Amino acid sequence: MQGIFGGTPIQALEHTLTFAQRRHELLAGNLANMDTPGYRSRDLDTNEFQNALAESIDNANRPVSHSSGPYTRDDLYSGPRAATEQVVFHDGSDVSLEQQVTELAKNQHLHGLAITTMRSQFALLRAAITERA
Amino acid sequence: MLKALDISTSALIAQRTRLNAVSGNIANMSSLTDETGKPNPYKAREVVFQTDDSLSISGAAGVKVSKIQTGDAEPLYKYQPNHPLAIKDGKHAGYVAYPNIDLTTQMVDALESTRAYEANVGVMEITKNLSRETLTILA
Repeated sequence: MQGIFGGTPIQALEHTLTFAQRRHELLAGNLANMDTPGYRSRDLDTNEFQNALAESIDNANRPVSHSSGPYTRDDLYSGPRAATEQVVFHDGSDVSLEQQVTELAKNQHLHGLAITTMRSQFALLRAAITERA
Repeated sequence: MLKALDISTSALIAQRTRLNAVSGNIANMSSLTDETGKPNPYKAREVVFQTDDSLSISGAAGVKVSKIQTGDAEPLYKYQPNHPLAIKDGKHAGYVAYPNIDLTTQMVDALESTRAYEANVGVMEITKNLSRETLTILA
């Protein structure tokens, strides 16, 4: 199966989906703790993830590589971190409702994008298998 | 991803507890005696939230009510010498002790927890949409 799925964008899309889902959990946690004194919001770094993913794809596409597999970096999702170094409210928490909801919406779109692309990849695959366009 | 639902649920429970406390405070704004009938004005109750890390393995945190604390504000003394509950002697002789509850503060608190509740219901909707989208890969 590695032959069919390994070389396609499906693996990269799968990573993107997993990332979006984990990030969604963290953002939900931030909103849940909106009124918790002293709570610091947590997040995953989108840029860092995208760079790591791009790097891994580059490595996979390199013709001669003695690395163990197509995806060499196993820390695609760098661990949850304190999301902001910014203004802290008087109760010691730093969760801004507007910011968190915006991030949730962005994350939802990233998820939707990955799903839609993945569906069309599978449609192509099915077309190839059934020899029907 | 369904963990996100649990996290939002924990927030709904916490906010509802807070709203209950606020309702109790407003309902008891004029309670002069405790349940045994002794003169003891009602004291406002405040709900304190705490981050709950037991809900998740991926680093996301839920929320829980850590304690419900009773306010320590001095009662509000009103001079009503003919009132049956008027204090007989001491510094406050002739005064009646009323609960020291600020309606504005309570209303703002109620509004805030209602909005937080709504925000978390919104997050649950998004979570359900994400799961539904994921399932469409199968279709």
